[in-house]
Amino acid sequence: MLLNYNQLGRLKYVLLGITGVICLFLLLPVIFIILLSFGSSQWMIFPPPGWTLRWYVELFADPRWFEAAFTSFKLGLMVTVLSVILGFFASYALIRGRFAGRGFLRALFMTPMVMPVVVVAVALYAMFLRVGLSGTWLGFVIAHTILAFPFAVIAISNSLERFDKAIEDAAILCGASHLEAIWRITLPSIRLGLLSAALFSFLASWDEVVVAIFMASPTLQTLPVRIWGALRQDLTPVIAAASSLLVILTLVLMTIAASLQKVLNR
Amino acid sequence: MIKKFVLASVLIAGSTLAATAADLVFTSWGGTTQDAQKAAWAEAFTKASGIKVLQDGPTDYGKLKAQIDSGNVSWDVVDVEMDFAIAAAKAGLLEPIDFKTVDKSKLDPRFVTDNLVGSFYYSFVIGFNKDVLKTAPKSWADVFDTKAFPGKRTFYKWSAPGVLEIALLADGVAADKLYPLDLDRAFKKLDTIKKDIVWWGGGAESQQLLASGEAPIGQFWNGRIFAIQQGGGNVDASWAQNLTAADVLVVPKGSKNKDAAMKFLATATSADAQAAFAKASGYAPINVDSKNKMDAAVVKSLPDAHTDGQINLNMQYWAEHRDEIAKRWYDWQAK
Amino acid sequence: MALSLDRNFRLALPALAFLLLFFIVPVLALLLRSVMEPEWGFQNYAELFATNTYARVMFNTFMVAGLVTLISLLLGYPVAWLLAIMPRGLANIVFSIILLSMWTNLLARTYAWMVLLQRTGIINKALLSLGIISSPLPLINNLIGVTIGMVYIMLPFIILPLHATMRAIDPVILQASALCGAGKWQAFTRVLLPLSMTGAIAGALMVFVMSLGYFVTPALLGGTSNMMLAEMIAQLVQSLLNWGLGGAAAFVLLSVTMLLYAFQVRFFSGYADIR
Repeated sequence: MLLNYNQLGRLKYVLLGITGVICLFLLLPVIFIILLSFGSSQWMIFPPPGWTLRWYVELFADPRWFEAAFTSFKLGLMVTVLSVILGFFASYALIRGRFAGRGFLRALFMTPMVMPVVVVAVALYAMFLRVGLSGTWLGFVIAHTILAFPFAVIAISNSLERFDKAIEDAAILCGASHLEAIWRITLPSIRLGLLSAALFSFLASWDEVVVAIFMASPTLQTLPVRIWGALRQDLTPVIAAASSLLVILTLVLMTIAASLQKVLNR
Repeated sequence: MIKKFVLASVLIAGSTLAATAADLVFTSWGGTTQDAQKAAWAEAFTKASGIKVLQDGPTDYGKLKAQIDSGNVSWDVVDVEMDFAIAAAKAGLLEPIDFKTVDKSKLDPRFVTDNLVGSFYYSFVIGFNKDVLKTAPKSWADVFDTKAFPGKRTFYKWSAPGVLEIALLADGVAADKLYPLDLDRAFKKLDTIKKDIVWWGGGAESQQLLASGEAPIGQFWNGRIFAIQQGGGNVDASWAQNLTAADVLVVPKGSKNKDAAMKFLATATSADAQAAFAKASGYAPINVDSKNKMDAAVVKSLPDAHTDGQINLNMQYWAEHRDEIAKRWYDWQAK
Repeated sequence: MALSLDRNFRLALPALAFLLLFFIVPVLALLLRSVMEPEWGFQNYAELFATNTYARVMFNTFMVAGLVTLISLLLGYPVAWLLAIMPRGLANIVFSIILLSMWTNLLARTYAWMVLLQRTGIINKALLSLGIISSPLPLINNLIGVTIGMVYIMLPFIILPLHATMRAIDPVILQASALCGAGKWQAFTRVLLPLSMTGAIAGALMVFVMSLGYFVTPALLGGTSNMMLAEMIAQLVQSLLNWGLGGAAAFVLLSVTMLLYAFQVRFFSGYADIR
């Protein structure tokens, strides 16, 4: 009754109404930002007096935006590699291991995700100031890998759990070494898990702003740091143009992910 | 395999780091002012010296101190408020200016000491949006009058010379009796309009608030009003009781590019660079020769043309009392 | 100890060492500074709780987090419910909208709200022209702005886990309750609500914990009197260089968060992973 769509009666329309309003609420900023990016008002007046492509022209004319995006991308890749490697071995230990304290270890691995980001940021900032890692690539990679790591562990342990250990054992029985079995049997079988671990690790770094604010230096700024800076000092509609491109990027990624899922489910 | 990956990441990281060591980093307050500084000073400097100038900002005194304390100084030339610079010089946070490189003789002596040279010179003025307000405000008391001038008003968010003086002026304190500041009286006066205040943390934010009509009246850096007018915004400034202050350029102790920084100061304070900046920003030059190089019309829009009723904010007083005022300021603001 | 005997445990060592060196040590060092600077003792904690301003920030943090959690739960529940039983095609559309908003850059979304919520923004203009209000409502630089912005960000984190719980409930149970003569209201309060409670609490806990430590949205949409702990910590260490007090504030935030996390792991394990 309450869990049957067709038997809800009038309640169905109430729920549909609420859901519709929430959907509009969720869509509003996303659509609005795109409209704003074409508005001609420099002072975020809406509706704007006219329409223009000026902010996109300024965006592409300013190499700092491109550099920031490229920095974010490069950083994301480095973080992804490190996080997936660490995450794989950690997950393998968690799922295959039979040692005491596994639950504790797992909880420990998850803490960077639960911990308030600002605490991680401030703690690393303090340490990096002392050891000379603040404002360096290495410091940035380390900091973001800490944040990305739990996502990799979740994705990889989920798929390791579903993968039948017996197949791996069979390979070892047939004469493969343990590492060989992992490399040739286990890894290919959990490639979906590895892929989503990589994706989440990348996104965890790509979108991250709080730690990045503390790690950044004038010569090393990620895209979110650049937007943050622009929000605080310029407030130019170029931010809207950059944001719109990010929205479109999200849409493209979502479409790719959806079609990938369809292909893989077939 | 794994080792290769890690090694590769470390190598990429290392190579990227090495590429950018020699550039000069200039930090200022962002927005149209920093754009003007970039165009008038940094680009001229790069052309002449071949040294690339990276822009950073906004200026943050905490970050600056953290850099100096940790010995990891990434800012080479910083645009700061003068009262901060005086206090910082006393605390030994600044490099001495090399006056063999920087020509002191042409600089306005009000804005030069052993550790700082003037950046530009400005006034806090009453800005108002002509689309929203029918009559022009004529004094700071008008800004505190929510009946005659309804709507939000906007003031500078951070503890700095300006707002407290404005509150006292609005409350009827004579200009020559401002210092030492009567803080109790100033905060009491501010309390009367506290719920109507929107704070601006940076110049761009102040422009946005005024131009959009979000806050149709308030306290502004004169150059920011000028910039909105240049962009076609229907706003104006009232120069009555305008309060002057200066920004200065400093080199933090431990800067890795000290020599280049001094050369940058020489360029930035030269008559041509100061004139070009003043033209673009509406702020006054600190080089006495610059006015000869500017249009009479532009000179008229500068703070120097509005000395009638002009009040100089007392930087020495502020340098001495910065910390205690700041504590009270932020406590009051968060209440 | 059995711990070191298992060869698989050794595989966890690189990650463990990494976390120890770059996560646990720095965090502990920060906490240590809260009792070491400027001198040994608990004066930072005393100052934190005794000073009006700081105490207000802490109260404000819990108040905002609680408010955001409550509103997100109330708004998210019907959506999660409908999502669990809707025809697939329709549900997919709703899902895409949720994911799109969730995956869009946080700063981009917050920027949009900054413009939308201004006194001269489109929401105020629409309300004015509809005659619902006669003067613009203050929607930004205050509690309303922070709440709207944060609810917007947190909604997916309530809807998604709650939807999973709802999906897992067997509709037959509700049919049974109808057969036994329960009305809709009774079926809801006696059957559906209790059965979905675990998902609701798990989601709410997660949102509460996330809200407690939030930085960007309160900083951009709140006013000077809406400061939350995360922003205060950042300001204390970055602008005021007061590492002792900043460390103490971090410790308060950290211990509350970890306590709630432990609670969640203990009673709702399985839900902790959905995020």
